[in-house]
Amino acid sequence: MELGPIFRALMHNPTRFWLIAVEVALTLAIVINCVAIITEQRDLLTRPSGLDEVNLVVVTTQPFADDFADGSFLDTVREEDLRSLRALPGVRAAAALDYLPLAGGGSLTALRAADSEGDGHPAPYFVAGLGALDALGVELVAGRDHIESDMHPGINDPENLIVTQALADRFYPDGDALGKTLTDVDTDQVWGTIVGIIARMHNAWPRSTIAELAMIRPGPANDSRELRYVVRTQPGAMDQVFNELESTVREVNTDRIVRVRLLEDYKRRYFDDELVLVKVLTVLALLLIAVTSLGIIGLTSFSVTQRTREIGTRRALGATRSEILRYFVIEIWVITGIGLILGVVLAYALNFALASLAGAPALNMGLLAAGIGLLWIIGIAAALAPAFQATLVPPVVTTRTV
Amino acid sequence: MLAYQIRIAWLSLKRNPILSSLSVIAIALGVAVSTAFVTVYYIHSGDPIPTKSDRLFYVEMDSWGPDRPFSRNRPEAPPNQITYRDMKGIMTSEIPTLQSGMFVAGLIVHPPDEDQRPTRERIRMCFADFFPLFEVPFAHGGGWDRISDRGPDPVIVIDTATNDRLFGGGNSVGKTLRIEDRNFTITGVLAPWRPSPRFYDPHTGPNQEPEGIYMPFEFFRIFEVETDGNMLIWDDSDGNTVEEFLASEAIWIQMWVQLDSAGQRQTYLDFLDAYAMEQKKLGRFQRPLNNRLLDVMEWLEDREVVTEEATGMLVISLLFLLVCAVNLIGILLGKFLARAPEVGVRRALGASRGSVFLQHLVECELVGVIGGVLGLGLSALVLRLINRLLDNGDQLALDPTMVATGIGLSLVAGLVAGIYPAWRICRVAPAIHLKLQ
Repeated sequence: MELGPIFRALMHNPTRFWLIAVEVALTLAIVINCVAIITEQRDLLTRPSGLDEVNLVVVTTQPFADDFADGSFLDTVREEDLRSLRALPGVRAAAALDYLPLAGGGSLTALRAADSEGDGHPAPYFVAGLGALDALGVELVAGRDHIESDMHPGINDPENLIVTQALADRFYPDGDALGKTLTDVDTDQVWGTIVGIIARMHNAWPRSTIAELAMIRPGPANDSRELRYVVRTQPGAMDQVFNELESTVREVNTDRIVRVRLLEDYKRRYFDDELVLVKVLTVLALLLIAVTSLGIIGLTSFSVTQRTREIGTRRALGATRSEILRYFVIEIWVITGIGLILGVVLAYALNFALASLAGAPALNMGLLAAGIGLLWIIGIAAALAPAFQATLVPPVVTTRTV
Repeated sequence: MLAYQIRIAWLSLKRNPILSSLSVIAIALGVAVSTAFVTVYYIHSGDPIPTKSDRLFYVEMDSWGPDRPFSRNRPEAPPNQITYRDMKGIMTSEIPTLQSGMFVAGLIVHPPDEDQRPTRERIRMCFADFFPLFEVPFAHGGGWDRISDRGPDPVIVIDTATNDRLFGGGNSVGKTLRIEDRNFTITGVLAPWRPSPRFYDPHTGPNQEPEGIYMPFEFFRIFEVETDGNMLIWDDSDGNTVEEFLASEAIWIQMWVQLDSAGQRQTYLDFLDAYAMEQKKLGRFQRPLNNRLLDVMEWLEDREVVTEEATGMLVISLLFLLVCAVNLIGILLGKFLARAPEVGVRRALGASRGSVFLQHLVECELVGVIGGVLGLGLSALVLRLINRLLDNGDQLALDPTMVATGIGLSLVAGLVAGIYPAWRICRVAPAIHLKLQ
């Protein structure tokens, strides 16, 4: 190995060495931090929601005829809508729901466990008609689904609630939530009894720290005249069902605005900022790596040109082509290596700054190792072409000048 | 002298087009990315209404329940909206120059062209003062008068886009539009208006467009419509009927006032405090007295409109520019040193070190400026792309300040990249290169 001569040569002309090292260091620092942010956002986007997301489509209707002001007319229309929707070929289930999971708008209250004190916990909820669990594709792990009698509790009776495992555990950490009640923190009245527990379901705010707390209340699922249905298709039947939905509810009553949209589209809209951030950072990281590789190519080829005569001399003194190639590859390997060591320090410094300024996630070791490996390979790959150019220098150049 | 140096620099750039374009591209990329994200940051942190942002105040009153503060994270902050009864109570005051409570509602609009289906539109429910309060520009007609607030009279204001879509543009003042089951007369058509960040409603993003239709506030009672924004309540007083809801502790209204002097501001704050003390006698406002008036910039800061993402991207994009500049150092160094023999001749013929240094620095800055101009073009494209991804309309765009910033960034990058190579080349000893020839 020519490490000795390589170091001496580097120290003799340190500018090029430092330029590459600094560039590699900065690139590592930036790329690692970009990837850390990208990974965090992607994790947020791909967290399992407990719902059968790909097979869910939402039908929202808003009537403009006066008939709908009458509550019983609204109830009739809802029943007929649901009957027609469920009868469509390719539809597995449908249910009425007041707000949508994953879409960013919903209701929330504060409750506490029976016989407990204090501020309680946030309890995001949906109001849903019969069949909502099947329509959403969530899995019941304890207790039971809502039944017809749950839909009409007596004036002072507590509601029968279905809650997520996460919410049950939050209120009753000992795992005995089934059958227990939840109390309103403001009025001290019993809100409802837990009759069913579902494994997992994201509420309306999947980005938040309380995404997994959700509660399904039984009810007619509308305070206003808006009617909203979640329709779950058989796997693969979405394309066939999607275009039928608007006409199906219009056949029931046409005096209304009908909007049909995939649940995934609502989710995408909710995560708009994250999606854009992921795209922008990905492009930026790739661009940065490209710029740096070009820089390394440029600087190495410059140093090859500058050292044409030295290379010629070495060749004349008996060095083989592969020895010349090896010299340049090891040289870039050393330079990149030093740059990467510097880069690790810079990466942590930048991470510290970004974390305090912009809430960036902490770096993890695996990511750092991957980044170092990748940039090392890229550095050497970028230097290969100019290094190969160096092997083509004929020994005879030594005799041509001076 | 400078013109001569620019000409020489230009000739030198032309002599090695590949290296020159590489260096220009290096700067252009850096400037494009950094200017784009400086713009994003600038727009988020900008003053949406510079002529009067220090005279417009957002009203906050602590009407929240006695047991716990409105915000658990920030117990000192009063609720961020007010109740209907408090809006009615404080709007009797004649202290503010202009004032308007407001919220956003979703209502059914029937297009005049009967072949088109009705649509649900977001409508800003507000008072006559809304338009002068925010200096909303009109293309045709104007807002309604305060008497129409009381009726309420069936009048509306629509924006340019809505006017184009429903009436095919032009002066639509006096035309009617059917909303829900009533006909409204259009009193004004807005000129394009896009306060950025959009500041007046805390529950919609800073990049969103203002609503397309404006309607006298009190129509919400007639249509029995709830807010499309946030409604929060701490007790169960909201009841089942509209009247019960309006008398309840539900907060859902944003309230803005214009106060032209410090004295007027103090008088109004005293009025709010006196109002709250009155309410305490009625058993409401059980929390400690806590009324706030925030001007526009204080309000935006309180709402944290400058997102963490925008700040993070700003830092990352400036570092990106730095990498591009470091890259350029390498390219320029190679290029200049290849020219050492020629510089040797010039030095031998009497050119001073200073003039050689300046000559090369001018060349670097020329690269910077060309790269900067290219970069600004690219930057405009990047912003258009971000607008498209975020569904922003044309919210993010370069303005003269940002063009100047872009050119400034490219000059700084040219300088950072150029100083060392220019210094190296001016230290060239003439003798060695003369001997070689």
